[in-house]
Amino acid sequence: MDVLSSLLSLALVASAVRLTVPIALTALGAVYSERGGVVNIGLEGIMVMGTFFGAATTHLVAQATGGAAGVSSPWAPVAGLSAAVVAGMLFALIHAVVAVTFRVDQIISGVALNLLAVGLARFLNILLFKVSTQSPGINGFAPVSIPVLRDVPAMAPVATGISPVIPLAVILVVVGQWVLRRTVFGLRLRAVGEHPAAADTLGISVARMRYAGVLISGALAGLAGGYLSIEQGRGYLEGMTQGRGFIALAAMIFGNWWPVGAFGASALFGYFDALSLRVVHTRIPYQFITVLPHLASILVLAGFVRRANPPASDGIPYSKEEG
Amino acid sequence: MSARGRLLLIQILTPFLAIVFGALVASGIILAIGQNPLDVYALMLRFSLTRADSVAVILFRTTPLIFAGLAVALSFRANLWNIGVEGQYYVGAFAAALVGFALHGLPLWVHLPLAILAGMAGGLLWALPPIVLKLRRGAHEVITTIMMNYIAQAVVLFLLADVFRDPTQFGTPRVRTPEFGPSARIPLLRPLLAMFGLGIPEHSALNWFLPLGVVVCAAAAYWLARTRFGFEVRAVALNPLAAEAAGIRMGRVQLLMFLASGAIAGLVGLSDVLGFFGYFDIDFPKGLGFLGISVALLAKNNPIGIVPAALLFGLLDRGAQGVQVFIGIPREVITILQAIIILAIVVAYELLTRYVRQQRKHEAEHVVAAAVPAP
Repeated sequence: MDVLSSLLSLALVASAVRLTVPIALTALGAVYSERGGVVNIGLEGIMVMGTFFGAATTHLVAQATGGAAGVSSPWAPVAGLSAAVVAGMLFALIHAVVAVTFRVDQIISGVALNLLAVGLARFLNILLFKVSTQSPGINGFAPVSIPVLRDVPAMAPVATGISPVIPLAVILVVVGQWVLRRTVFGLRLRAVGEHPAAADTLGISVARMRYAGVLISGALAGLAGGYLSIEQGRGYLEGMTQGRGFIALAAMIFGNWWPVGAFGASALFGYFDALSLRVVHTRIPYQFITVLPHLASILVLAGFVRRANPPASDGIPYSKEEG
Repeated sequence: MSARGRLLLIQILTPFLAIVFGALVASGIILAIGQNPLDVYALMLRFSLTRADSVAVILFRTTPLIFAGLAVALSFRANLWNIGVEGQYYVGAFAAALVGFALHGLPLWVHLPLAILAGMAGGLLWALPPIVLKLRRGAHEVITTIMMNYIAQAVVLFLLADVFRDPTQFGTPRVRTPEFGPSARIPLLRPLLAMFGLGIPEHSALNWFLPLGVVVCAAAAYWLARTRFGFEVRAVALNPLAAEAAGIRMGRVQLLMFLASGAIAGLVGLSDVLGFFGYFDIDFPKGLGFLGISVALLAKNNPIGIVPAALLFGLLDRGAQGVQVFIGIPREVITILQAIIILAIVVAYELLTRYVRQQRKHEAEHVVAAAVPAP
């Protein structure tokens, strides 16, 4: 019985790791965007674009390279993930143009982006696959094992036979922390988020830095979406993001606008997510378990865990004339 | 033309320009799939305007959008983002259905108002946690209201499927509440329209909620423009610090506006549930709350502007049906068109605001130059 329960909990941890990745990648993107002073509510929509373009591209490339025989090209998921990243960046570009160049309220722009994403994904799915809500099934990456870690007994279940995107996400988080803390780019990005007028005076282009932050957030949210549809779902399904783009924003806040912190918070949400998939046979109705991550993010935002400390000019458009 | 007249003209023209821009982008998409945009738009208009049943359908679709737009606009007016209208109307509609089927033997003039009040209470209840957490704990209402949308879906689904499901429907795929009698139903508009010689189709569910929506918008406009509280709301929105310094309690103003927004949101689904279905089922229309955001933005949060803005979205919705049925273009083209109109409209309003500010500065400089004689 003990063994069984520990196995169950190991399976739970492995599932939590898988579900942490999309939230963590998007939360990392949100950190870049908001450190530069741009709130990006549109991350959910960008993730949706990532899920659709990721799955659709993987499917089309697999077909074109002889997927009919059942052996699809190993490059298909690579192409899919790349397409998801590019689609995410293009979608984020709309947000950058509307919110940074035209200085429209960032929340409004993000909300419009989310509406656009749902319509666009349905429309393109109908054009490509004749149905509105799902793509054909696809094959993802061949699983990998992480050298050293797989030999540690306690870590084996989460280090063997996993998606290569999982270690990639961890690397991106660590790199993100280093970029924001130690590099010139990171310092400048944070400067335009804290005090854009001061940064402007020092010759830093506020608009260019904010574009960079928003585009990076788009690339990462697109990647997260691509991971969801290619690796988790093995195909695109409408609504498969389930509000993870918004949950990622809560994770970013909980992580105090730092990549490593956001990753830790994402792990918490990923755990709730995994729990909501596994705890089916309890006396609590399943509908309540499925909203655990959403409930948790409300509590986190309410600061019952920690006070938030956002960048000083987060969400405020900057114009040279008005300061 | 005077400068003032020119500004007014530009303000009226701005939304039209944004709609035209949206239509242009959508034309690109329609061209890309090998259709003629002009044919598509012509069909949309013909289908929407020349059929008697279309006009009734458009007005029926417009009804919930008026309430949704107004609910969103009320929160925006107080510098708050109620993105949770979606969840609030869902809870409200379910609460109204609950009162509808749970009470028996009441006359219409008691039962129907009770059901409507239950709807408003449901919406208000769902708006309460986000605004309390915002004012007390500083939790940003955008994300909390979005999360409340997901929770609303889950809670209503649980109550519907596991608690209040119509027992006579067990064993069928229909998951819905028991149906309620005529005492909880909103009377239809058809008899009244017939008195004026306006015939609308027999099956039209167009009901008294449409005129009610217009009246509520007018009342909200009066409330915001002519009362002391309305003045406080405007003061808080324009300059919170100055408002506080003048003794206006900002927290109270924001709390009341957000709760009013939630209560109005509770009315969004009632035209459908009390005026058409007569029960709440698992396929109850979704997405009206998000459309309300678009309607509010198009109307620039002006309660009077909500009515034509909702009408435009009702028209687009009906046109989308026509386009899908007769040309086979997915109706999602219209969803895309709506989103692009919103992006275009917010950019256009922003540019307009900047232009107006510049003009005023320009005029002021002229006045100063004229008043101060050259040395």
